[in-house]
Amino acid sequence: MTDPISLAPILRPEERPTPLFADDSLTHEERYDAFVEHVHGGSKVEARDWMPDEYRQSVLRFVEMHANSELMGVLPEREWIMRAPTLKRKLALTAKVQDEAGHAQLLYRVAEDLGKPREQMYQDLLDGKTKFHNVFHYPTKSWGDVGIIAWLVDAAAIVAQQALRDSSYGPYSRTMKKICWEESVHIMHGRDVVVTMMNGSQMQRDMAQEALDRWWGPLMQMHGPRTPREKDRDLYWRIKAKTSEELRQEFLGIYVDRIRELGLVIPDPALAYHTSEATWRYTEPDWQELRTVVTNHGPRSQARLEFRRANLEETAWVRRAILGAPAAAAA
Amino acid sequence: MPARRKPHLEPYEVFRQEKDGDPMRHGGSVMAPDPELALHYARELYGRRQESTRLWIVRRADIGVLDDPDWLQPPLDRSFKKPGGYVMREKLDQARARSGQAKRIAGAGRPKGPDGG
Amino acid sequence: MTLDHALEPAVLAPLEDLLLAMADDEFVIGYWDSEWTGIAPLLEEDVAMSSIAQDEIGHARAFYTLLGELTGRDSDAIAYDRPPDAFRHCRLVDHPRTDWAFTIARRYLYETADAVRLAALADSTFVPLAGLVAKIRREETYHLAHAEGWLRRLADARPEGRTRLLAALRSLASDAATVFTPFAGEAQLVAAGILDRPSAALADDWRLGLQPLFDELHLPIPGPPADPSTGRTRHGDGFRWLWGEFTAVRNLDPVATW
Repeated sequence: MTDPISLAPILRPEERPTPLFADDSLTHEERYDAFVEHVHGGSKVEARDWMPDEYRQSVLRFVEMHANSELMGVLPEREWIMRAPTLKRKLALTAKVQDEAGHAQLLYRVAEDLGKPREQMYQDLLDGKTKFHNVFHYPTKSWGDVGIIAWLVDAAAIVAQQALRDSSYGPYSRTMKKICWEESVHIMHGRDVVVTMMNGSQMQRDMAQEALDRWWGPLMQMHGPRTPREKDRDLYWRIKAKTSEELRQEFLGIYVDRIRELGLVIPDPALAYHTSEATWRYTEPDWQELRTVVTNHGPRSQARLEFRRANLEETAWVRRAILGAPAAAAA
Repeated sequence: MPARRKPHLEPYEVFRQEKDGDPMRHGGSVMAPDPELALHYARELYGRRQESTRLWIVRRADIGVLDDPDWLQPPLDRSFKKPGGYVMREKLDQARARSGQAKRIAGAGRPKGPDGG
Repeated sequence: MTLDHALEPAVLAPLEDLLLAMADDEFVIGYWDSEWTGIAPLLEEDVAMSSIAQDEIGHARAFYTLLGELTGRDSDAIAYDRPPDAFRHCRLVDHPRTDWAFTIARRYLYETADAVRLAALADSTFVPLAGLVAKIRREETYHLAHAEGWLRRLADARPEGRTRLLAALRSLASDAATVFTPFAGEAQLVAAGILDRPSAALADDWRLGLQPLFDELHLPIPGPPADPSTGRTRHGDGFRWLWGEFTAVRNLDPVATW
């Protein structure tokens, strides 16, 4: 077998083993085409690489929304840190919320290295210019919510996050691998909380069921409406690898049985697996509700954004104190 | 006396060793105002689960980066530097045929030496 | 194996009091500091403070467990199934977390006091306690480094950081030494070699230990407590609120498993 490297002097430039789009003697169009071929071939893009503006902006928007969601995702569960009923649950829930803050850090770092400062991202979030995922706009009412969120909301998120481990953007792909590894314990914790309640008193079972009744709708909306594969620009750039519907089907495929086996009733009488089509059918999620919620008109959207705004103000003096620069809202 | 650099948040790269004997691998980065806090934050983001046995924390601005393909993947032939650049099958067959050695049977169980057999 | 077979009654009661006090100190400060999870001044700091708070709760759990082995009770029951007035944490940790300067000032005062207390137990003749203390002291080196680093940063941050730090130290001054509130029977613990010196001596050592750094940073060293006899028994509205929070779910059904 001939070593391909030894053929190098007689290969045309585009056949050499270095990314062609990095070659600044080519035209923009040539670089763009080479870049598309690069990501379609499954190769990675790194922070310092040349990239088309559309790619940079798409990755940034995607990662920024993910980072925002982790930051806001802290808030529904935070209150329950103080109310956990045993030492073990207290530790587990504190560690889980800590992980969310940690994931926000990891993701904001990826976005910062694409060129957007953290304080700008915070400001855009508070001003409603950027979004965060629907599930974090809803209230939590009981310990039942704590279990359902830690188990099922995290499970739905993980289904999406596992697919993102193959993202074309290298720093994001690597961050997602770390995040997925760290998230695995959250689902275990969540499922443990729910199964313990379902094995407990009638009051506890009712509490868990009531929480599921409220969270099922947002869960089904979480992966988003069906979009045709060819129209999805994030798929085109391989920023993400699966469609909304693929993720939703995957979630249902794993979790419907696990939910039902605990004695919980899923509040959708139309939910059923159709073997002939190899697909789950369900009541169409309320896409209007999703649109309303993610544009910050959800039940807790404004209150939570206001909480974040107040917190940033209250702690601004600390950043001013330890940072020399006047633009010190760089939390 | 040189002016003291005012503290500001900047990235520190974190390299981690998963277990004794492993190489240091890049884990990610933290923002910190100084090396001491960078150490704490590296421990938190890359070690709070006891997942690392060692961390190196380096200010990104102090890291030299080389990614010029002309330096790292220069275009002219360098196969003489690699084992794959020495393809001898035909020549060996020729020599064996001349010396009257039996035809080599693939997978005869003799271990390959460092010179390719 | 029961742990109390080698302990005389005169020693058992004060030992239980000591363990409860240490457990409650770690439990309460851990709870207050865990409130910073998700909302600390810097995202990276969020993760750091949360780890420290979790460590404190973990230490509390270990102390409650040890106490539980002596008294035949479950650690969660000891921690949660009591009215607020039955808690024996010191007044230093009774206060809410307030702002970052207060949290850091209180952390530093508590960590240094706890370090002196733990050192006095390091060679305890009550072997399970000595073993636990050895592990805890190893974890605490991280806490102390973190608290000291922040104390320095705030003390040097003129004017605002320093002003807030001084205000926090002022409001904590009369409660700082309550970690060393003397307790009934401590003389028996000292005589039995379970604790190596009485509380008053430990308090003096602690103040001496603060001197180098406080002198360097021009910070006032806290004096004796304003009301020493109630150092571990008088609890404020902030703690009562906290108690309401951490018992809220549990009290829905005290016999349920969560």
